[in-house]
Amino acid sequence: MQTFRKTPMLQPRSNTRQNHLKLARKITEVVLERGFAEGAHLPESTLSKACGVSRTPIRSALKLLENNGIVQRREEGGYFLHVSPERIAAGGLSDLEDMEDSLATRILSDRAERRITDIQSVSALVRRYDVPRSSVLNALKILSSDGIVVQLPGRAWAFQPILDSSNALNDSIAFRLSLEPQAITAPGFRMDSQKTGLLRQQLQEFALRPDGALSAVAFLHLDCAFHSFIAESSGNRFVKGTLLAHQRLRLSTQKNHSIPNFRLRQSLEEHLDILDSLERSQLRLAADQMVVHLRRSQIRKPQTLNRGILPMGRGALA
Amino acid sequence: MKKPVIALFPEASFGSALNCVGIAQQLQHQGSTPVFLCHPGFNGVFAEYGFKEYQLPQSAEAQHQNEETWQAFVTAHLEHFNQNPTEQLKTYVGPTWEAIVDTAIQVEDGLSQLLKRIKPDGIVLDNVIMFPAIANAGVPWIRVVSCAETEIPDINIPPYLSGMAADDPARPAFESAYIKTTLPAQKRYNIFRRARGLAALPAGQFLETSPHLNLLLAPKSIRYERATPLPEDQFVFLDGCVREEAQFEPPPLPVNEGPIVYLSFGSLGAIDTDLISRIIAVFATIPARFFVNVGEFLESYQQVPDNVYLGSWFPQPSIVSQADLFIHHGGNNSYCEALHFGVPSLIMPYCWDGHDNGLRALQTNTGVNMQRASWTPPELRQIMTALLNDNLMITRMREISDKMKKGNGVRDAALAILNKISI
Repeated sequence: MQTFRKTPMLQPRSNTRQNHLKLARKITEVVLERGFAEGAHLPESTLSKACGVSRTPIRSALKLLENNGIVQRREEGGYFLHVSPERIAAGGLSDLEDMEDSLATRILSDRAERRITDIQSVSALVRRYDVPRSSVLNALKILSSDGIVVQLPGRAWAFQPILDSSNALNDSIAFRLSLEPQAITAPGFRMDSQKTGLLRQQLQEFALRPDGALSAVAFLHLDCAFHSFIAESSGNRFVKGTLLAHQRLRLSTQKNHSIPNFRLRQSLEEHLDILDSLERSQLRLAADQMVVHLRRSQIRKPQTLNRGILPMGRGALA
Repeated sequence: MKKPVIALFPEASFGSALNCVGIAQQLQHQGSTPVFLCHPGFNGVFAEYGFKEYQLPQSAEAQHQNEETWQAFVTAHLEHFNQNPTEQLKTYVGPTWEAIVDTAIQVEDGLSQLLKRIKPDGIVLDNVIMFPAIANAGVPWIRVVSCAETEIPDINIPPYLSGMAADDPARPAFESAYIKTTLPAQKRYNIFRRARGLAALPAGQFLETSPHLNLLLAPKSIRYERATPLPEDQFVFLDGCVREEAQFEPPPLPVNEGPIVYLSFGSLGAIDTDLISRIIAVFATIPARFFVNVGEFLESYQQVPDNVYLGSWFPQPSIVSQADLFIHHGGNNSYCEALHFGVPSLIMPYCWDGHDNGLRALQTNTGVNMQRASWTPPELRQIMTALLNDNLMITRMREISDKMKKGNGVRDAALAILNKISI
């Protein structure tokens, strides 16, 4: 039943190249998070600041993106976004075919879409992706650094729970309900004011889009950026680390479940209200608003229903 | 000026619920205040579209309904879904009517109290049974016929739930069997109606037509020629009734080539994971992209083929609009959406009016009707390939879609409703 895709052989690469590839991926995330439009100038200084590295590696990463047709270098100076953000978002990082960690992305995507089981051997992955063993090991290393896979005794690797089903999404919300308000109320909560302004601008711009242009994928990116920002601002290092890892997991594995436009706009407003409270230093109010926001974000669809039999709702909502 | 308050009461099925969402969106655009009366378990669904909800009190029996109840339901009925409509009368239709009557009796008092509290200016009932509280509310009530057109009988129209042609020689036998099977539930229901001040209904019937307005979701392309035309002041046919829904962006698949095929058997059909697994195995052999609604059973599937994507929920209007073929169970909402977007249907009915719509798709060359389980992989592959390449049908579907899109079913529905409401 399983069909396999033949892909070109990937060659092992140096650590320097891997770092540039990782940085290139980070740049695409910044592009999505900050709402750069197709054709927009991508200032090296902005990218350098956002990624926390000097301009030299940024230039190398941009060069890689240029080779993959994602950015374009122009005579008037600098790099410009050559594809639409939607294309980057819709394809995840699949456009960056030449990148070392695209294999990690593919493995993760295949797991999230239940194409591969939760226990995998390196050999099975080598066969499925038709790549060298070293590439598979490198991809698994990337995934394990985010806690997505762990090595079992022996040669097998096990995927940790991911957000691949409605039940998993409900568990994710329950987990976030217990931690995200605490991220705000723990002593030492501090927001970067420049990032706050940027985030607010992105939320407002997204809310101005007409109904037909409210992309669920772009919303997921913005939503993860918002909740990651809250986590980053937390004064509790463990809450911060745990929530940031969970948001990365959401971004890479959450299934593209669509949200009615009304709820999507309501959710954007809730984000902005939370930011308002945080900027007024009303942290307890912001934490309460976060609880309301997350409760409203729970999946509402009845689990099963039929004419003549009353629908069975989700236990969490009863 | 006071905005009219319209209470919408869909039955507990997604087709009906989301169809009412489409009408409510237009009622809101036209300046009224739509609110929803909803069954327990549906709480929050309508709020996500921005509508106020009033939940019917949960009966003690429903409170005990849990996963085991559903497992028992599945065990009892799964095999019945492979039976023909006549066989299903005893095994499925009869018991379902008993359950529908139970529900109507259980919610009556709560519904009556809610209506006194809301004081609506009109009520929209999208169901298959009358709730006396609605007829007794003292305001116009509108019936939405969101099942197949067969729900409103006529000599030129096949018997409801029969899946047979109007002139089928077996018609009298089916009609007698239907009346005989539903008699116990119907008698019980008539006693309940009389106790609540409503006249008894003729044998086999559970819902009268509204004296105010009846909306039928039967697009022109599949409508029957009635021997006795329905009075135009009371019956309005809608050419589709598609709601405004979120956009679905098909994610790229590892094998991302070929036409798009969408499969959804509704939340009840999703329980048959064995059947869907068999179908997915066939999908793996066809050069196309497949999006499959597996409801709450995602965790039952492993090793999904590279050209298949499983989801628990899809914004159906959006994905159907992008599809080249829609495989469904013949639910009227699904069938109408396929027509609206000009997509051929492959109908694999398992119960109720799915049989009627399956036959109608065949009669009108808008799709193919096939028995849901008795196929071999080569047969299913051949039928799908033929449908994807049937240029005559594809052209016809485009013409139907163009005509339907020129109309606006939900706006027509809203205007017709508001015409009947006086405040």
